Amino acid sequence: MALRRSRNVLFSLSALYLFLLVTVAIAAPLVAPYSPTDQFLDRRFHAPDARNPLGTDDFGRDILSRLMYGARPALTVGIVAVSIAVALGGVVGLLAGMGTRLIDQALMLIMDSILSFPTILLAITVVSFMGYGLVQVMVALGIISSPVFARLVRAETLAIKSEGYIEASRALGTGPVKLVFRHVIPNIMSKVIVQSSLTFAQAVVVEASLSFLGVGIQPPAASWGLMLKDARNYLMQAPWMAIFPGVALALTVLSFNLVGDSLSERFNPRLNEAR
Amino acid sequence: MKIVPKKGFIVGMLALFALCAVAAQSATLVFGLSGNPDTLDPQKTAGTLTFQVDKSFYDTLVEPDQTGKIVPALAQSWSISPDGLVWTFNLRKDVNFQNGQVFTSKDVKATLDRIMDEKMASPKRSEYAAIKSIRTPDAYTVVLTLSQPYAPLLATLASGWSAILPSELIASGHNFAAEPVGTGPFKFDKWIRDSKITMVRNDKYWIKGTPKLAKVEFQIIPERAVQVQGLSLGSIDALEFVDPDDLPMLQANPKVTIKKELSSLIMVMAMNCAREPLNDLRVRQAVNYAIDKQTVLDIAYGGGRVGSTFLDTGNPYYSDFSSLYPYNPDKARQLLKDTGVGNREFTIAVPQNYPLHVKAAELMQQMLAKVGMNVKIQLMDWSTWLSSVYTGGNFDFTVIGHTGKLDPDGTLAGYGAGKYVHWYNATAAAKIKEAATVSDFGARKKLYTDALEIMAKDVPFVYIGTSYRYVGTRSNVFDFRMTPSLDSFDFRWTELR
Repeated sequence: MALRRSRNVLFSLSALYLFLLVTVAIAAPLVAPYSPTDQFLDRRFHAPDARNPLGTDDFGRDILSRLMYGARPALTVGIVAVSIAVALGGVVGLLAGMGTRLIDQALMLIMDSILSFPTILLAITVVSFMGYGLVQVMVALGIISSPVFARLVRAETLAIKSEGYIEASRALGTGPVKLVFRHVIPNIMSKVIVQSSLTFAQAVVVEASLSFLGVGIQPPAASWGLMLKDARNYLMQAPWMAIFPGVALALTVLSFNLVGDSLSERFNPRLNEAR
Repeated sequence: MKIVPKKGFIVGMLALFALCAVAAQSATLVFGLSGNPDTLDPQKTAGTLTFQVDKSFYDTLVEPDQTGKIVPALAQSWSISPDGLVWTFNLRKDVNFQNGQVFTSKDVKATLDRIMDEKMASPKRSEYAAIKSIRTPDAYTVVLTLSQPYAPLLATLASGWSAILPSELIASGHNFAAEPVGTGPFKFDKWIRDSKITMVRNDKYWIKGTPKLAKVEFQIIPERAVQVQGLSLGSIDALEFVDPDDLPMLQANPKVTIKKELSSLIMVMAMNCAREPLNDLRVRQAVNYAIDKQTVLDIAYGGGRVGSTFLDTGNPYYSDFSSLYPYNPDKARQLLKDTGVGNREFTIAVPQNYPLHVKAAELMQQMLAKVGMNVKIQLMDWSTWLSSVYTGGNFDFTVIGHTGKLDPDGTLAGYGAGKYVHWYNATAAAKIKEAATVSDFGARKKLYTDALEIMAKDVPFVYIGTSYRYVGTRSNVFDFRMTPSLDSFDFRWTELR
């Protein structure tokens, strides 16, 4: 019981943090004290004070404002990448599950190939072909994250296909498309939602990593990864440049993971009792 | 009564003498080198690391002094015929190689023949192309006959790749790549790849009283953080390049001395003059008025001297034209309005392996935004920059630094006839070409000044300027000398106190 309560508390806190993050990201122009790209060259490397609550960076830009605006690419990449992954992976998984053995094997071969590459390496490769930038990062991440959803959806589809009520439905003449929408999709939604939250977390980290390496968001735009990249050279003189984006990144990923964990437990309580 | 010294006393005194002897001999300078030279054969590479190390093993016929002026070295004097085709060098008579062989004109001929040999495939071979023949009328005279007048040859002979090698060892096929043998102030000791290169004093060096150090050890330390730590703690005595970001920490250290010198770099934002609307002079002028060059130098490059034309500001051939385009954002706005650039999007391409250029690009992007230009930054890796921007000409603006050369022709050759900025001006191109054929400093200076004035007025670049270079040494290191245009170190007068 105590475990469940603390799990609830963690879920609530994580959900609250994410809600705040989304709000800040959307309302950034209204909430942020300064523009994220305005340079104040006479106020470089200022420690947190009244005028700049989180300090300033090497160009005198306000770190709080950059942190707030930086939530946008982080969340945008997450949303778009997950959407692409769910759409692409879902369709592939459904086709593989519903289709013939040959289709199944062919599609899964492709998915497994993508899965076998290290994520960041694959992301860098895709981005090198398509050019550096936000859109390219989102598409790259979407493609890279799709095999996980493909496998998930395929497994569920295969399991449901052999259920008794499906056979009965088929005998009554229900076409495959209606089958999919009426039976398969509702059953896999919970699993997809859980996986989405985990993929979201991964997307945020990969975006930050790519920007850190210089192949993602281009300067002077605000991105947590870019902020970390700049901060690296000034760890001794201006540690706040690294601390705040680092904490933001860590909290965001942690929150997504906790939400995912809690949702997973809620939808599949049997799994967790066995732990 | 006889006074008999105690045994302990004698041993103590002996130990003290031994210690003194060791201390005097162990005047070793430890130098932090940023990478591994690919070879130590000066004729087989264009890599700066090689020449930084080889400077201590070898000498050249002439050499640059601290101001960049070319002065005698192994040649005590030289004369050039009025038509610029016959160069006569009179060699020093008191020089020996480190293996004992006496230095004569034979060695100069053998060295030059070797580097001009096609089979050697030296990357610097083309710099000697003007030499038609080499004669040695006696043991201490060398006469070069050129096929056409070519003034930059003197700078070539002062550079690290013109290091004089012993003719006997050339003939015997000695492996200069692994074991340098020259007339220089230090003798090669050993090279442990990826670790260190050590050298010991040449007691018979031809500049009497030098070198002062007994030993020099080049430690190979590629990571910046490790270099800085080493200098702070004293495990290395000198560092040739201190990143401006590390300055505050090192300057706060009482045991470290930072020397600030003007480098020979030319930092620019290049503009693609073939592209609309950058082909319009007024737009390029507007961009120049919009940039506060001193601020860019101070914040991105660690300080420096503002430039006004396409040459390093410390160069003896430089002239100042900074009154032409001072920082004036209002004038920039006016010109942009006149030319109707509007909201057209421009891109600054930056090679992202140079964080200083990335910083400069961010600063300039903001400055241009302030006068109403819509500018984006595009990072790319080095090979993409080379193929897409430098050779491909696919850019609006780009931020880059040009390394200084010992001879202005090395920097200016080809400009006015295209190059990566696609800037064409027949007058400037002609003056630059002519200046390469003239040997007299005054005459060359006049020609280069004319060409530089045209480049200053027509602004195919924003001439940000020449940055300072910070050399870090321990405070007990004295007289550490650097030749900026060659990026090499002269340890002959350096001493540890």
